[in-house]
Amino acid sequence: MLVAAAPWLITTPYWRGILVLCAMNVLLALSLNLVMGYTGQLNLGQSAFYAIGAYVSTILIKTYHWNFWLAAPAAIIAAGFLGLALAAFAVRLRGHYLAIASLGFAVITYQVLVNWESVTEGVRGIYGILPPVGNTLGLFYLIAGIALLVYLAMDNLVRSPVGDTLRAIREDEISAAALGVNGALWKAFAFGVGAAIAGLAGCFYPGFVGTLVPDAFNIVESFTMLAMVIVGGMGTMLGPVIGAIVLTFLPELLRGFGELRLMIYGVALTLVVLFLPGGIASCFKRAR
Amino acid sequence: MLIVQQSLNGVYLGCLYVMVALGLTLIYGVLNQINFAHADFVTVGAFTAFFTATRFATKVLGVPDTAAYLVSIIAAFGMGALLGLAINAAVFAPLRDRGDELRPLIATIGVSVLLENAQLALFGPVPYQFDTPFARETFRIGRIFFSAQSVLVVTVSALAIGALYAFLRFTYLGKALRAVAQDRETAGLMGINPGLLIGLTIVISSALAGMAGALLGPVLVLSPFAGASVIVKAFAIVIIGGFGNLQGTIIAGLLVGIIEAFTVQYLGSGLIDLVVFVLLLAMLVVRPTGLVAERKEENV
Repeated sequence: MLVAAAPWLITTPYWRGILVLCAMNVLLALSLNLVMGYTGQLNLGQSAFYAIGAYVSTILIKTYHWNFWLAAPAAIIAAGFLGLALAAFAVRLRGHYLAIASLGFAVITYQVLVNWESVTEGVRGIYGILPPVGNTLGLFYLIAGIALLVYLAMDNLVRSPVGDTLRAIREDEISAAALGVNGALWKAFAFGVGAAIAGLAGCFYPGFVGTLVPDAFNIVESFTMLAMVIVGGMGTMLGPVIGAIVLTFLPELLRGFGELRLMIYGVALTLVVLFLPGGIASCFKRAR
Repeated sequence: MLIVQQSLNGVYLGCLYVMVALGLTLIYGVLNQINFAHADFVTVGAFTAFFTATRFATKVLGVPDTAAYLVSIIAAFGMGALLGLAINAAVFAPLRDRGDELRPLIATIGVSVLLENAQLALFGPVPYQFDTPFARETFRIGRIFFSAQSVLVVTVSALAIGALYAFLRFTYLGKALRAVAQDRETAGLMGINPGLLIGLTIVISSALAGMAGALLGPVLVLSPFAGASVIVKAFAIVIIGGFGNLQGTIIAGLLVGIIEAFTVQYLGSGLIDLVVFVLLLAMLVVRPTGLVAERKEENV
């Protein structure tokens, strides 16, 4: 309801653009939450899958003249497989090792995008990318609709026995293995699905912005997603959604503060972690 | 000849990386935490050194510019220590007892965003040119060239590493620190104050980061994002060397420096990060514990 009404409350083109961005961020936060919040795998490489989704879909459309609706599934599958590649490391590593390995994964992806100029155009970027839907409003409804579907599907998933399995791995992998849970398999599942969802978000990014440069998928992007999940409330369904909304709008609302804007953002992030360890979602739980 | 020259360049680079990575590994070894703001401590150190050397020491104190650079290294060291005190009080100390590996990491990302943008507001996005008198002086042995700056960097790094080693090995505090790293609770029972020593670790690490900034300043493009460009590599070094292991970090740092020097020579500078991180991932597959293994039992 609120989602459908949002564009009518916010009518300026600029803020409607922010709404589209917000819907994409919700998707990204949801994707990271599955891996990090429910499966407990510290992943700092989510920006890599976002990038793959964006680049694979754009290159298929621009160079090979595919239809968007064909290119998008291909990009999602590509991102998913890359997620499985990262899962190969995740199976062997845990905690901070995995964090840095996944960070390295994101750096490698970024560097490939910069250096493989014959395919990605490198830092020069790809220009004139058309969105799948002509106007911002349509694009918003499309992405928000998809985000809602992903939310509902994931909500069902985490309530199902699969969700219990993932949580068991998060809480104690060795005990879970003792109960017959194949940790490697389910971690790979979480990474694959998480990556595919990030890839899905990536499909919409280039069309929305119109250009595609590697800098959009810097490791800072991974940190932003991480911040959304943490600020909202990791391991809850609603938390990452709230986190994505708050952290998309907060920097925009702070625009009046000019240069202080991102400083306030940094302070806010630190304060939430210090004083609200369960994220914003935990406030609602406490109030209930 | 080229090989010798590039190896020397690699050692010089490697020393710079080791200086950045040492603090990270020290914090990890004692606290099991990653400090993402470490990069920005390096940047703050670089700016502190820059302003000390070019404005304060030469203009106010009136010392010659060679001495000014040396003074600025000490100033950056002090500034780093102050930042360490601050981040310990604000982030690590309050979060320490909750036993969570993720939250301090996120909180330090917040601190990193804060510091980066504070510096952006103060110094602007245009990079500064940090000239040291040592960079102008070059020596030549046969056909091998090296600058006085590289000699200075290697000397200062060696001294810092030696001092750290001696501190950990031979002093009471150092021994207590190693005890805390091994088992915080038991160390506490032996009359060691873990909180104090963890604070000390963070201060030492951050001071080293500040000092690394002073040494890196003339090499890097000195902008508010200077530290971020080295930190990812420093993380790679820490992992390649084995998390929390000082010896491993030193070996890995030098190795990465040398690899980088040869990558620039034979493959081009655009591929440096790629080569380093492919090495990292290969390392994680072949030997996930790093070059020098971390000795730790799995707690079930």
